[in-house]
Amino acid sequence: MGVKDVKPTRSELIELKKKIKLSQSGHKLLKMKRDGLILEFFEILGKAKDVRTELDAAYEDASRKIGIANAVDGTITVKSTAFALQNKPQIELESRNIMGVVVPKIESSSVKKNINERGYGILGTSAYTDEAADAYELLVEKIILAAEIETTMKKLLDDIEKTKRRVNALEFKVIPELQESMTFIRLRLEEMERENTFRLKRIKG
Amino acid sequence: MQLLQKFKRGNSRSRFTGHSNYAYTTARVRAMKSKILPNETYPRLMNMGIYEIARFIGESEYKEDVDELARQYEGADLIEHALNRNLAVTFTKLIKISEGELNYLISENLKQYDVWNIKTILRGKYCKASTEDILEAIVAAGSLSYTFLSELATKSNYEEVVSELENTEYYAILRNYNGTNLSEIENQLDKMYYAGLFATTGSSKSKDRKLFARFIRIGIDIKNLTTLFRLKKAGITDPDMMDLMVEGGLKLKISDIERMLPLSFEDFIAELSKYTYWEEISDVVSPDMVSLIDVESRLKKHRLKSAASFSNVYPLSIVPIMDYMLSKQNEVSNLRIIIRGKAANLSDELIREQLVI
Repeated sequence: MGVKDVKPTRSELIELKKKIKLSQSGHKLLKMKRDGLILEFFEILGKAKDVRTELDAAYEDASRKIGIANAVDGTITVKSTAFALQNKPQIELESRNIMGVVVPKIESSSVKKNINERGYGILGTSAYTDEAADAYELLVEKIILAAEIETTMKKLLDDIEKTKRRVNALEFKVIPELQESMTFIRLRLEEMERENTFRLKRIKG
Repeated sequence: MQLLQKFKRGNSRSRFTGHSNYAYTTARVRAMKSKILPNETYPRLMNMGIYEIARFIGESEYKEDVDELARQYEGADLIEHALNRNLAVTFTKLIKISEGELNYLISENLKQYDVWNIKTILRGKYCKASTEDILEAIVAAGSLSYTFLSELATKSNYEEVVSELENTEYYAILRNYNGTNLSEIENQLDKMYYAGLFATTGSSKSKDRKLFARFIRIGIDIKNLTTLFRLKKAGITDPDMMDLMVEGGLKLKISDIERMLPLSFEDFIAELSKYTYWEEISDVVSPDMVSLIDVESRLKKHRLKSAASFSNVYPLSIVPIMDYMLSKQNEVSNLRIIIRGKAANLSDELIREQLVI
């Protein structure tokens, strides 16, 4: 809203004062939200770092274990055993709210299984296959956890960016412009009052 | 792996009864054993890269198999499939050249491949895998021919697979398969294999058959022991798991296993120290052990060592044939461990630990 577009009236001045007050309180709230989100982000960042490290370790372990199983039992054994998988992992997506930001909550089931629940017979398989399956189950769990935390982090980052833009817009554009308009109206009203006084004096004279 | 074989291999007239050709078969086996790679080959292979190993294998006894499969596979896959193909051809040859009781003993031993192939086909049907995928996982080294197994693999569902096997001994178990109890059926098939194997030990009083029986029973002990370790590690103490135990062990009687099953992992280890197998595994077993790989590897080595120790005692018996079969399996396993281990970037130390030399 440019200064030229403003009508220099008293009602406009009152309206502007209200808008400035609202913008200032909005600015304060958004600043608080931004700071809160940043705090939340750093908390999740720590968790994400831990989960990423765990995920990398789980991936390395799973690769090593499947390598050993492929070498000792043979890839055809591993492949055939994988055919027997009974319950495929299920994922349920829910959402939760962090300061107005909707982030996912991923619930998983049938990921970690006991050796007698995997679908293959125990007698015809070996500890190599068990350990490879264990390692991959752990890896899937870590991937699900990492997906939840990293998506939350991304959403928080997006929202922090958005909130920061809003705070800056209010702080450096909206409020100064409103204040400028208010000053303009105030000066214009004073000027009009002076003109009025002068006009009255001239009529009297 | 295109083997032109009949549905059932071997000479059915001479199976179970009749004249056994021990002299002929053991002479052939001796010749075949001379082609087994000597132990000093493995350290040399360990110093080679994947392509050098592949070339070495491609120029060895496995040349024909590598050439045959080179159009379909490459790299480590080619070598592994060539090794499996060679194993199947070799064992099939043993069934074909043997007669009478000897044929029965060899066939019973190789039924592990029939059981494996049936399980693979059922698993493939269970997860709706393609026929090609199922066929890739088949090793036709038992009595059921590749042609018959590939016909089974093309069936559209498990019911058709089971009905095709109606005339086999496996049907008694397979008819109970309802599409949901695969692990139970697999365990029963494996138990059936071990029961058949134990039955081959029979009541013969000859010294060679006693040695053979001893070897089979050590194998059963090791199977029970590894199963117990896996159950204990998973924290399973359910008495119903006794169904997984195989009867006929040498040192571990069923009553011993029954006593061990409800024990905690720590108590189980303490109890195990009373048995001779403890010497083989004592330095890799502890109550807080994370992996069972070392235990399984040690027990496997122990079984092979015990077979090798008496292989030359009775030259005209099943014993040298068993020893050859194990040596061949071991050669294939060692070559696979080296090539797959190197392909998976496993450390040389880890690969060496898994080798049975």
